[in-house]
Parts: sequence; C-alpha cells; structure tokens
Amino acid sequence: MGLILLTQGIISLLVILSLAPMFAGLVNKQKAIFTGRIGAPVVQPYYELKRLLRKETINATSASFISSISPVINVVTVAIAAAMLPIGFARPLISFEGDIILFAYVLGLARFFQILAAMDIGSSFEGMGAAREATFAVFAEPIFFFTLGSVAFISGLTSMYDIYHSVRLDNVSYIVFIIVCSISVFILAVTECSRMPVDDPNTHLELTMIHEVMILDNSGIDLFLYQYSSYIKLFIYAILETSFFYPFGVQNYTLAIVIFAVVTLILSASLATVETITSRFKMKNIPEYLLFATAIGVLNLLIYTFTK
Amino acid sequence: MNDTIVLLYYAFLIQSIPIIAIAVVQDNRKASAVTHLVLLAGLILGFSSTVSSLVSSNSTLLSFTLWGIPNQVFRFDSLGLYFLGIIQLVAIPTTIYSYSYLNHYISNGKSIRSTLVFYVLLLVSTQVLVLANDAILFLICWEVMSMSAYLGMIFEKEKREVRSGSFYYFIMNHIVAFLLFIFFLLLHHQTNSWHFSDFHLTSDSGAIFIILYFLSLVAFGTKAGFIPFHFWLPRAHPIAPTVFSAFLSGIIIKTGIYGLLRTFQFLHPTPEWLGWLVLVISMISAILGVWYALAQHDIKKLLAYHSVENIGIIGIGIGIGFIGSAYHSIPIQVLGFGGALLHTLNHAIFKSLLFIGSGVIYQNLGTRNIEQMGGLVHRGKYFVMLFLIGSVAISGIPPLNGFISEFIIYNGFFTTAKILNNYYPILMLISVVGLAFVGGLAVACFTKINSIMFLGTERKEVKQFQVSFYEYLSLGILSSLCVIIGFYPQPFIGIVTKVLNHGFVPENASSALLNINWMFISLIFIAVVLGILVVYIWKRFMQEKYGRRTSPAWGCGYERLNSRMQYTASSFADELNEISKTVLVYHKNIKKPKQIFPTQGSFESHAQDLIDSKILLPGFRKLSSLISRIEFLSYTDIRYYIAFILVIITIYSVIAFLWV
Repeated sequence: MGLILLTQGIISLLVILSLAPMFAGLVNKQKAIFTGRIGAPVVQPYYELKRLLRKETINATSASFISSISPVINVVTVAIAAAMLPIGFARPLISFEGDIILFAYVLGLARFFQILAAMDIGSSFEGMGAAREATFAVFAEPIFFFTLGSVAFISGLTSMYDIYHSVRLDNVSYIVFIIVCSISVFILAVTECSRMPVDDPNTHLELTMIHEVMILDNSGIDLFLYQYSSYIKLFIYAILETSFFYPFGVQNYTLAIVIFAVVTLILSASLATVETITSRFKMKNIPEYLLFATAIGVLNLLIYTFTK
Repeated sequence: MNDTIVLLYYAFLIQSIPIIAIAVVQDNRKASAVTHLVLLAGLILGFSSTVSSLVSSNSTLLSFTLWGIPNQVFRFDSLGLYFLGIIQLVAIPTTIYSYSYLNHYISNGKSIRSTLVFYVLLLVSTQVLVLANDAILFLICWEVMSMSAYLGMIFEKEKREVRSGSFYYFIMNHIVAFLLFIFFLLLHHQTNSWHFSDFHLTSDSGAIFIILYFLSLVAFGTKAGFIPFHFWLPRAHPIAPTVFSAFLSGIIIKTGIYGLLRTFQFLHPTPEWLGWLVLVISMISAILGVWYALAQHDIKKLLAYHSVENIGIIGIGIGIGFIGSAYHSIPIQVLGFGGALLHTLNHAIFKSLLFIGSGVIYQNLGTRNIEQMGGLVHRGKYFVMLFLIGSVAISGIPPLNGFISEFIIYNGFFTTAKILNNYYPILMLISVVGLAFVGGLAVACFTKINSIMFLGTERKEVKQFQVSFYEYLSLGILSSLCVIIGFYPQPFIGIVTKVLNHGFVPENASSALLNINWMFISLIFIAVVLGILVVYIWKRFMQEKYGRRTSPAWGCGYERLNSRMQYTASSFADELNEISKTVLVYHKNIKKPKQIFPTQGSFESHAQDLIDSKILLPGFRKLSSLISRIEFLSYTDIRYYIAFILVIITIYSVIAFLWV
C-alpha cells in the first residue's frame, strides 16, 4: 500500500515537472490564435529550454555567489512545492498535517533568493523588478490564505490533499463560495506567475516589467533554470485551480484524468483570453487589484458563514 | 538534581570572579582577556548544568540545600531553567564577540574597564533573575540588570544621540520598576507571601485579578517592547555598543516575555477577552513593527523595529495560549505557549546574530546607514553567508529555525478554529492572514537590507573589511544553531514540551506539539538541500561543457554605469511606504532638475513612526510642561533635595504609623 502511494506521488510529481512547459505553450498557442496568428507549436517551450541548455553562461561582473545559487534554489523549491500538489486522486509525495503553510513558505524561499539575485547585479533595471516583486508579494500572500486557507478552516483540515478532498458540491452556498474562491486563486495565479494584467511575460524592454526584468542579466543554464521554474510555477497555480473540480473524479482513474485535462485546457483558454483582451495595469494600480481579490475573498467567506 | 544545581551556583561564582580580575590586572588587554576567558568558562559550565537539569528534571525543585543550608530563595523549575538556558546559550557567542569588539576600543586607547564590569553584572543578574523565587530578589536582579545595561549603553557618552537615546531607556526602566513594585506588593497583599511558588490567584478573585494583569501587561510589555510601549527600542538599540544591543535585543526584552509567562502561572485561568487583547496588541506590534522596519535606513534601528515584530509574534502565541486557558483546552495552550517559547529561543539566536553582524559592519565602515554600503559580498563572502542565514531565519522561511516556531503558531490557529468552532474559524483565518502578511513584509525588509548592504557595487569606497576569528566564531555558533533547530527541531520541541508539562498544563497531558510530523518536515528540508546540491553540481557540469564567462551588466547600451546609479534602499521600499503613508508618516522632498542644462536636483524621504511621533512624543511633551510647573522648587544646591527626601520619608512614616 505504502509503495503504491509512493509510486503515485512520484508519478504525479513527474507529470507536473514534464507537462509544465506544455501548459505555457498551450496558453501561447491559444493567444496566437486569438490574435489571428498561427503561432508557435505547443511544444515550443521545450525547444526553447533545450536551446538555452546549450548556451554559454554569461554572468555580470558585479554578480556574486547569490546569482549562481538562486536559479538552483528556485527550481528545487518550486519542485518541492509541486510535490505537495494532488493530481487527480493520487496522494501527493509530500502530504502531512500543515503542508498548506509549508507550501506558501517554501515558495517564499524561492522569492527571497530571486529578489536577492536580481539585486545582485547592481543595475537599477533589476532593482526595479525586485522592488516590485517584493511589494506585490506582500499583497499576494494574504490572497492565498484567504482562499485556500478559508477552505481549510471550513473543513478543519490542514493538508492540501485533504483540503481539496473536503470540497463537496452538494450545497448551493458552498458551490458559490468555491466559485468565488477559484476567481481569487485565478487572480493570485496571474500575479504570482507574472501574467497579464499584472506583468507582461513577453517583454522586459519597458521599465514596467517584473519577472522578466529580474532575470535580464541571466543566460545559459541559469536562464534555463529560471524559465523552467517559472513554467512549473504557472502549472502549479493551474493545478491549484483545477483541483477544485476534484469531487467529480474521486476514485475513478480515467474520469479523473479526463477532468484534469479538460479543466486544464479550459483554464489555459481563459488565461489566453484574459491576456488577449486586457492590457497591463499601471504599476500603482496593482496593489488595488490584489486588494480587490483579497476583498472578494473576505466577503465571500463572510457571506458563506452567514448563509450556512 | 541537587548536584547540578550546586554546579550552577559555582558557575555564577566563576562568572563573578572577573570583577576582581578587572580591579587587580593593570593592563587593559590582559584584563579583557582574563575577564572574557573566565566568563566563558563560567557560562559553559552553567549552560551544561542547565541543560542537564532541564533534560533530567521531572519536577520542580523548590527547596534544596546549598552547602548544608536549606534555601528557598531560588526556584529551579523548567520555565526558569529554559530561560536560563536561552540566556547562557546566547551569552556564549556574545561574550566571544565582545572580546574582539572591545579590543578595537583598547587599540584606540579607550578605557573599557567599567564596560567590562557592567557586562559581567548584566550577565550574572539576568541569569539569577530567571531563577528567583523570591519577589524581592527578582526586583533586585531586575534593577541590577536594567541599570547595568543602561551604564553599558552610555559607553560613548560624549555623543549627544547616545545621551538622549539612553535616557529614554532609563525612564522606561523606572516606569517599569515602579509598576513592578506595585504588582508584587499587590500579590503579596493577596497571598501573604513573597515566594513565587505561593502566588496563585484565579479569575474569581475579582477586580484585583484584572488590575494585576494590567500591571503585568504594561510593565513586562514595555520591557518586551509591544506597541505602543516600543518607543525605547529604536532609540536605545542604535546607540548602545553592539555587545549590549545584541544582549538587549536577544535577552533583555525576553525577560519581559518571561515575566508575562510567570504572570500567567500566578494568575490562571485567564478570561477569554484577555487572550484577545494580547493577540490584537501582538498582531498590531508584529505588523507595524515590520512595516516601520522597512522604512528605516539605520541598520540597528531597523533591527530594533524587527524586535518589535518578533515580540509581536511571540505575543501572538501567548494570546492563543490565554484563549486556550479560558476554554481549558490543552492542545490550544500547548501550541500557543509552545510556539511562543520556541520563538523566544529562535529570536534570541538570530537577532543576536544579526546585531553582531551589524556591529562587524559598523566597525569596518564606520556607518550604520545602509545607503552608504554595498558590494560587501566581494570583500567578505563567508560573513555575508552567515548574515544571510540569520536573515532567512528571521523571515520565517524554511528550512531554518524561524519557520519552525511560526509553523507551531500557525498550527495553533488551525487547532483553535477546529476545537472552538463557532465563529472562531473566521477570527483565526484573519490571524493567519495577518501573520502571512507579516511574513511577506519581513521578506521585503530583509531582501532590502541584504541586497543594499552586500550586493551590487560599493556605493562608498570601502577601505578595509576585516572579520576577525572571534567574530567568525560567534557568528558561526549562532548561525549553526539556526540551521540545527531548523533541520532537527525534535530535541528542542521535546524540551519545550517538558517546560509546558511542568507549569502550564497538567502533567504529561500535552501531545499536540509532538503530534506534528517533525520527522517528515526534517526529511523535506534535507531533500531541499540535497536537491540544491545535485542541481548545482549538474549546473557546474553543464557550464564546464558549454562555457562560462563574465561581462559587464546590461545597461541598454549605456556603458558608464556607476555605483550611484544602483537601486537604493529608499527606492526599494518606496512603493510599500507610499501605501502606508499615514501609518508611517512618510513624506518626500523632491527637487527636480529644471532648465535645459539642469544643474542640481535633490531627493530626500523621511519616515516616522505614527504612534511615536503623533501620540507618545506629544504626550511626553505635555507631561514635561505639566511637571515644569513645579520648577520653582528646583535649586542648584543638592542639600535642598536631601531635605525634600527627608520630608517625604517623614510624611510616609507618619502615615504608616497612623495606618497600623
């Protein structure tokens, strides 16, 4: 039994790690179709990663050991976070009472070193991105706890796997609650993964970008690690969203996989739609946008508790 | 048990020997070496016997014989021993650092004899304080501790800021001592005893219970530095010699926490609203403390505000414990108080690490302003690594010790919600979000100071950056403690559980702390480290294969980037400061360069603390104008004052006689 659980956990981790670039490619492809282009193939991110892997690494002269370890820390912590996510009905590799807190904090480790690595170059380009990342993270963290945390508090469980399995769609107010929660998670995903309308993943040339500008002075395998971990991160947040649909796929292999695939596809389509039809916000409006997500999370929770 | 206790006495005796040595040895350098060596020996002996009695003891030892004499003045219970252990653990590296720190001053021809005496007094009195069973002894130690810290603080008394900063500390101590006198007199009045072991009141005792709690909260809370009583921390810490500021922030403010926990032992069960009061005050302290810290550019002032934040986190644990006590729920109490106790240890470790680090920087650069630093990583790589460990730990990020204690407190929230149900889930959810918010701000703050101080290029030329062996040793001890508690928390959890079992909850009733899957968490942390190692080696291998070189940073074609064009600390924190303009009293003065050929432009930003500048300072000013009305009584001749004292004493004695 233990061995089966372990295998399931490892398989789902491998699935996340291997399919993550595909998800980003999927979003890009749909975006291209929306704007009337043919677009790069869905597997394009894999080619890009492969290309980066074979490039020479160039470090800035002012860079220190921080720049060198930060991409490594990034990819490892993101992989550890991925190992806590349940796919389908499989119990994740890392699952214990309180892993929801570890999940949030382990991503904090990645962020800490990414900000440091950006500041390591000593250029104000990266500095600007780093300052913004630090600022928006302060507002993004509460959203995570107001959404997943509130589901945890309602169910009284503190393990991600159990929390998602406690979602039961048999009560109208609970369904509404979960839907609003998923909207908040979507906003969180947009922020954390530097997508529109918070950040533009396609450019770093404007002085307005966050994630892309932080990794501006990286190349070769460092850039590979950063890119790969940002793909994984995007997929992680996508799974946070798709996992709300658990109750439909409990204890049935094929159904679970089909639901997972379909919901992921829908999610990528909605990401692509949002990115096509909206323009990026002014930087100073982003905290308001995040507070808006927090506010609907709070309201939602209050409404749910009083209608229960 | 009795033997190890006697060993503790010897340890205290050994630690007091240096006072004689300082008087006898003529040469400054030798006196300092002897003092530190003997102190260290005493501390190590003390620490080992503390640990062995903490591990072996199964019950509280109240009376024992010392050299044949029965003794009731001291109390060797787990709580006291736990705090004693923290003090000694932190005092060892601080003393090692102190040797190298004072050597700098000796080389400059400054007399350090009095400072050494105050340091010894401070160490011994703080250790005796947490063992005192007698209220009078407690108060004596309290005063000796506070005053020797004050006297050590005014080391550079020729500087104006030192005199004004230490004066706030001095005043604070008098207020706290005054309140503590009333507190213990009232307790004595109620229980007819001076012994801590006899103090016990329940909430049935009416108004006196509430009054006692308020006295204790204000007195010990001021010492600990809860908002709004935090005013002395950002003033006293920057001006104190680093050894004293490290001890002040690592240990002395923890005696406030010790006092609060003792008060709980005297007065329980607590009413629920009291728990909420402590929780709300602590939450405000944590959030505002870290937010104010973010706006500071003086490294020591910034760390002082971080102490406010961490005291807030400890207070959150205590508040949860109080709520648990109101409902007689053991798991809630265990997680709340347990988190608070472990965070007390953790904060003592990483805060002294950071203060000692800031002292090393100050000694080399001669400034505490982080805007003038930068690029230090190219001068002292290992020093930066050690400082970074402290920074990651204090931000509560895994895999270091700060995460472990915050994790317990988070578990406390979840358990409270689960057990008490009703409207508690929402309240606890808000607390969780508050703590997460604090964590986010702490990350912003510590990435700010680390990147501005150490990374990039030098903003001001650094003439030399040397870290001595002793400095490395003390930083190394403290940072390895951060790592050990992070990766292998079980023994520390075991000790905390023991402390809780002896004096907080019924004997052997607590399992909530041990129920957390610590083994699994350790495994994950080890996996993180192994993963980083493996990927790093693979990365180096790939770099070997495809090449690696360095080149100047990309400046969009602009080639004359200089160190003044780097991002600064004020610009890093600007966006967050703008958001909190009102709470922070943040304003900027911008003079934009004008005309076609601009000549000059300037920018400055100021951040103040709202509570301090808008509430406390005007209050103090009003008070001083009120008091100045009796200025006509002030004379230049000291004999008048002696006469006043005599008159007051006579009046008191007459009243006392009439009363009886």
